[in-house]
Amino acid sequence: MIPLPGIDASADAWPEHARQAWRRVREAAMSGTVAPMKDDDAFPPRRLRKWPWAWACVVWGVAWLLMLGLDRHIGLAQAAITLVLASALAAIWLPLLSSLATTTLAVLAFDWFIVPPKHAFAVELSEDVLLMAEILVLSWVVTALLARGRVLATRARRSASHADQMRRLGDALRESEDPLQRGEALGRALADLLQARPRLLLLRNETPQPLDDTAATTLGEPDADDLVGLWHCVRLCRQFGPGTAHEQELPALYLPLRGTEDEAFGAAMIAVNPNEAPGADVLVQAQALCDQMGQLLHRARTQRQADSAHEHAQGQAVRNALLAAISHDYRTPLAAIMGAASSLRDQGGKLAPAQRERLAESIVAETRQLSRLTDNTLQLVRLDAPGVKLNLDWESPDELAGAAIDRARRHDPERRLKVWAEPDLPLVRCDAVLFSQMLENLIDNALKYSDPPAPVELTVRRHGEHIVFAVRDSGPGIEPAWREKIFDVFQRGNWRSGSRNSAAQRGAGVGLAVCRSIALAHGGELRLRQRSHGGSSFECWLREEEAPRVDEGDPPAPGAPA
Amino acid sequence: MTLRVLLVEDDRELCRTLKDAMTAEGYEVFTAASLSESFALLTGLGARPTAGGAPVDLVLLDLGLPDGDGEQLLAALRQKHTVPLIVISARESDGQKVRLLDAGADDYLVKPFSIRELLARMRVGLRHRGTSVSPAVTRYSVGALAIDLGTHEVTLAGEPVHLTPTEFNLLARLVRSAGQVVTHRQLLMDVWGAEFTEHTHYLRLYMAQLRGKLEDNPADPQLLMNEPGVGYRIVEPQG
Repeated sequence: MIPLPGIDASADAWPEHARQAWRRVREAAMSGTVAPMKDDDAFPPRRLRKWPWAWACVVWGVAWLLMLGLDRHIGLAQAAITLVLASALAAIWLPLLSSLATTTLAVLAFDWFIVPPKHAFAVELSEDVLLMAEILVLSWVVTALLARGRVLATRARRSASHADQMRRLGDALRESEDPLQRGEALGRALADLLQARPRLLLLRNETPQPLDDTAATTLGEPDADDLVGLWHCVRLCRQFGPGTAHEQELPALYLPLRGTEDEAFGAAMIAVNPNEAPGADVLVQAQALCDQMGQLLHRARTQRQADSAHEHAQGQAVRNALLAAISHDYRTPLAAIMGAASSLRDQGGKLAPAQRERLAESIVAETRQLSRLTDNTLQLVRLDAPGVKLNLDWESPDELAGAAIDRARRHDPERRLKVWAEPDLPLVRCDAVLFSQMLENLIDNALKYSDPPAPVELTVRRHGEHIVFAVRDSGPGIEPAWREKIFDVFQRGNWRSGSRNSAAQRGAGVGLAVCRSIALAHGGELRLRQRSHGGSSFECWLREEEAPRVDEGDPPAPGAPA
Repeated sequence: MTLRVLLVEDDRELCRTLKDAMTAEGYEVFTAASLSESFALLTGLGARPTAGGAPVDLVLLDLGLPDGDGEQLLAALRQKHTVPLIVISARESDGQKVRLLDAGADDYLVKPFSIRELLARMRVGLRHRGTSVSPAVTRYSVGALAIDLGTHEVTLAGEPVHLTPTEFNLLARLVRSAGQVVTHRQLLMDVWGAEFTEHTHYLRLYMAQLRGKLEDNPADPQLLMNEPGVGYRIVEPQG
């Protein structure tokens, strides 16, 4: 730390704001938080910054030429003013101490060459002693003021550049998501500041074991020794190395990336010559850069923890709903099957053939119900999994509709099922198995919740840029409060108003939820519309896509197949 | 002579139920719970004249066996015999089901299925025995529709129906396997050629044209049935 010479902040001649500024610089310099800086470095205009001693010599040379050359023509006062002027100009280029020393020498030379009697240090007139004393004090004051100006200017310049660096690092960190890229941004900032390529250690895991290199990302290829130091720095969460309060003899500076007061999320290491320790302000800046990164990593971890807690809670809720629904939805048909089958086993002989037939029918119907439920649950779980892949192909909408109706009719031959497709519909791109499952579910749903003999119909039509598959019933409709909720997984409730159908009491189970998942997986939508004449219309809207062309001119394979 | 059926199924309960049901219908049923067991059974049973030298008349093959892939059994059987093979699958094994059909399996059933469905498929399978040796079906009729593969004549309620050559080839391919599903790939391969096996949209277009000419309501087909994700099936002929 360079001692700040001979200027007292209490000097009465200074304006108050200048005194305060000076005091701040002094205090900061003493406490070591801001540069003692090599602030005495001259601070001339940019063009004249080179060769400071040469410029000072030129100034003094010209001044002495003037003073000695014109000695006969000018008075002592003019010579004194010239000296003060030269001293002030030279102070622009010279450091404080050199400037003070040259000024003192110049005053002595002034006494020797100019003040009568010449070529002697003795002074004839007592007012000339006063004059020389005034010249000396005035020159010193000018020099000191210039030096103070330099200190303030340098400090302002540095804090501006540090603030700018912080801002740039902040931008760079915000812009990239990848921890490696962020690390590189920090590395660049530190390299700019300290003129050496840093090595970084960024923690990946929440609470890693020290020296567990898989738990951290490294940048700048630290060797084994560097890694030990970096991990040590993370653990201590404290800076050490040259210029810090600890282990100043080390050949490198270690800075923790602090997320909080006492938790580091990584560390930076910069090779530094112990004899050329970075200034305190540089150290403060470097630590601030590191802390910016540390805080970002801390925020990211907090966010991750919050997300995972939320996900966990949500997963738990879905799992609970799933289990509750499955146990309910499975038990009901199982109870019916158990009842019918055990009745056939135990009382088969006593039952009339028609009764036996009815029991067997019930077993078959309930088994079908269970099978559908199993398919739907499996499909729902599959569709919820990330990265699910559909078997997409070009399908004809009326074929899909026809197949769904055909299957439903086989299971429920009593009911009136109608299907209508607009002529010349384009092909749709979908997973046929999934899409059929959706249509069958919707038909099944419509059959279940509307009482016979009301018909259920499936229509396919074009609507703007969409192909709309609609399954319509003329049942009692759905209570307004339930119209959105029925698509949620495992929502249940008596949502069909006034249905006499016992199946309605069983709830929607997974059927509509899986339908919506399938529609979404195809980039479509499942909507519920209340029909004006009563009943509901469940509609799957698929966006029309351009199907590949069939080349009509393509000659068909010759002859019938073998 | 009673017909012999090999049932390859690893679930013991289902295996017993199916065996009882088939025995009640007069079939002689052999059961195997694994691939190795079925190979052993096939080797142990003597050749049967009714099955063209094959040890059994029909095979019911469950997918997901403990010791390997059903495709091995199919491949081994197809090397020597044309014995009908029906695949029994769960819905999850769709891909494997279609692969087996492409590899020469005759039909498939998705679990759970009813005995009535199973017996119907078995009857269709047995009727088609040896189709590749001598076409068993040359005349087909259902409802008002009559098709003569020999003379290339198609009539609907006595009126001739004009079909393009491709439409006729497609219809003929389905009629040869009437009552059985024919996969998209098989249809494209047999009607258009090997390089068209991915062009499902050709199939959609020509099926729509056929339906337009042969069905009352093309959207509610009674004749040319679609098996989503698998293939097409023309309904069984009557009489």
